[in-house]
Amino acid sequence: MAAKFNLDRQPVPDEEINSHKDFGELVNKFKKQSIEKARSDVNFLKNKKITYSAIIAGVAVICTVTYFSVFKKQPPKESNNDKIVTSQTQHSSSPETKQHKAFITPPISKLNVPYTSYKVKAEQGGTIKHKSNSKIIIPKKAFINKQGQDIVGDVEIKYREFHDQADIIASGIPMSYDSAGVKTTLESAGMIDIKGYQNGEPVFINPKKQITVEFQSEHTADRYNMYVLDTIAKNWVYVSRDNSLKGQKPVASRNTATEMQSEPTESPKTIELQKQLDAIPPKIEAEKVVYTKKVNQLPKAVTPSKPAKATAGRPQFELDVNYKEFPELEAFKNAVFEVGTENKNFSPKLADITWSSAEVSEGPTKGKNYLLTLKYREQVEKLIVYPALTGADYDKALKSYESKFSDYKNLVAKREADEKKLKEEFEAKQAAFAAEQKKLSAEMIQEQIRWKKQQEEEMNRQFKSMNIQYKVSRIFNISSFGICNSDCPTSMPEGAKMTPIFLVDNNGTFIKAEHTYLVCHSKNIVYNFYNPPISYDPKDTYSLCVLSNGKMYLCDKTSLGNCFSNKQNKIPVKELSADVSDVGDLRKAIGI
Amino acid sequence: MLLDAVHMEFSPRYHHTADMLLDEQQIIEAAKQNPEHFGPLYDKYYKQIFGYVYQRMDDKDTAFDLTSQVFLKALTNIEKYEYKGVPFASWLYRIAHSEVMQMFRNNSKLRTINADVSDLRNICEEVEEEYMEQYKGILMTVIKDLPEDELQLIELRFFEKRAFKEIAEILNLTETNAKVKLYRILERVKKTLTKKSK
Repeated sequence: MAAKFNLDRQPVPDEEINSHKDFGELVNKFKKQSIEKARSDVNFLKNKKITYSAIIAGVAVICTVTYFSVFKKQPPKESNNDKIVTSQTQHSSSPETKQHKAFITPPISKLNVPYTSYKVKAEQGGTIKHKSNSKIIIPKKAFINKQGQDIVGDVEIKYREFHDQADIIASGIPMSYDSAGVKTTLESAGMIDIKGYQNGEPVFINPKKQITVEFQSEHTADRYNMYVLDTIAKNWVYVSRDNSLKGQKPVASRNTATEMQSEPTESPKTIELQKQLDAIPPKIEAEKVVYTKKVNQLPKAVTPSKPAKATAGRPQFELDVNYKEFPELEAFKNAVFEVGTENKNFSPKLADITWSSAEVSEGPTKGKNYLLTLKYREQVEKLIVYPALTGADYDKALKSYESKFSDYKNLVAKREADEKKLKEEFEAKQAAFAAEQKKLSAEMIQEQIRWKKQQEEEMNRQFKSMNIQYKVSRIFNISSFGICNSDCPTSMPEGAKMTPIFLVDNNGTFIKAEHTYLVCHSKNIVYNFYNPPISYDPKDTYSLCVLSNGKMYLCDKTSLGNCFSNKQNKIPVKELSADVSDVGDLRKAIGI
Repeated sequence: MLLDAVHMEFSPRYHHTADMLLDEQQIIEAAKQNPEHFGPLYDKYYKQIFGYVYQRMDDKDTAFDLTSQVFLKALTNIEKYEYKGVPFASWLYRIAHSEVMQMFRNNSKLRTINADVSDLRNICEEVEEEYMEQYKGILMTVIKDLPEDELQLIELRFFEKRAFKEIAEILNLTETNAKVKLYRILERVKKTLTKKSK
């Protein structure tokens, strides 16, 4: 390595070093980098998902399992298998299916939490790692068909998870829990929905086996129970206390699976403003061209030549002039051309020569003198000559000149006035362009500031959402496909009640709520109300979703908080934007 | 006498009491949770890391950029940092060392050695040679021609006046290994000086 050697280099002053310290910038860079990484991770997972989906053949069918015996090993008896078969048959029939659908109905189908499909070889089993880092551990020979026979070959596992209030609302999974007549709502530490298919036909878990799901839960408290959803009884069935946290320490991890949205570097408004700004310089140039053209089109005044009186004693020539070529000599009709004193080569003898040609061209001082070129054979003489008049011709020419000079002055004055007017018009237009430029630039700067702020807020929000989270593994030992959760029952909120009137966009349009979701922001709970009044704890924070005529309406935390604190029952709601296309968008819209 | 010169003043910046290390550890743990808490570490070590980076190059702007890069890398990887009873600085120096070396691999022209005449005098005294003006050029040539790993040792010890413990941490060597290596380098320097001064 060819190094350079410096001796006694001046140290960098502390002030200079400190001036480069910018911790805020470092943190911003870090956040951006983390978000970029998260985005790339998400893309990786998406690609992986596509690959899995591409592998899996068959069409998804709705699994209608009647009874979930999750966590409860079934004895390997033929009768049990028969039971499954019977149940399967029953649930395939349309009334039951309708009932099932009615029990778990996503309010807006496009928002429903999607399944991820995985493929596993039934005879080998395997471990599937879901995008949330949850693991699905499938032992070998874990599946049987409806005849109770072991399945071989590829089995499609359809799996989805529900982590928060948005997932709960979007999936339509009922969270009410009736325990011996006591109605409660389940606070969730996480739910899963798992199904198995082969060639489009549902498969069943071998009663001798269990599928284990190590579910990554962000809810680390040890106060949850295991439930399975009985879609026939339309209730959650308590299975056991969730003891999966025993001896387990929460693990810190960054949530990189969060859906991140790429923000464009410029806002649409900035792009539009920039377009408008870019359009101005060509307009300015075009206006300059128009102005120059107009000025050039103004009539030009030609200064008339003042006639000169012939000087007695000066040598003169009489010439026949083409006045079309020299219009200024019109005033010098019958003029003679005096030889200028600057012609040092002039000799009076030249007058004795009969010249074969004499040409007049422009002289050194345009309009005042002319160049007379005389030729005879090889001899060429060039003389500077001045037109001059004598006697009455001079008086007449002077009169004509004075008249023409007066016209000339008038024309010059008019041209000056016209030019001034054109210039004023031009300058006014230029000023208008400059003002527009200034206005647009100022507007653009404001927009850029606003956009930067918005991006920073968005970056912080995204960063916050992917910030270190403590997670625990909640173990679901599954003996039957279906929905199961680790939840705990919670009483309906208390403290205040209200019969709400939902008004859309504050414009007085009233909507009738078919289903009101009260989203608690301090706990992972969604309270469901089908009829007024709604109850709430005034000390807690909520937002609200309302379902009416197949449309969803939202009231954010702030607006709802204001209504609750003012005991104002007219609750402003906004229809869910058409841009909200999936559960991730719904999560954002709710502000989770 | 080699390596045991008592007159050299070594920087106290690396030395931490047990309480200081504990306090620092608490900040690191907080920073693992929230990058905003990294601030005290950034403030504490920015100048030191800049000094380390700039010591090895001519271009100040590049040194500032690289310093930022070092801290960004530290913040990105802080989750992986494990306390091993040494100051956080040693970890930062390792990142800085790696970043600087990477930069030189990409552009060797950037490599610069910065020393004071007094540092060259210290080397002479270390090898028990009385410093003479003519040694200046010889020493500069000898040092310039050293392989990078040996140059690092000379720089860290004589131009930056770091303790062997710290040098060992930065270069990922044992303290004894660092001492032995430096001893061998100085032996060679001594031979060259003796030979060339005749």
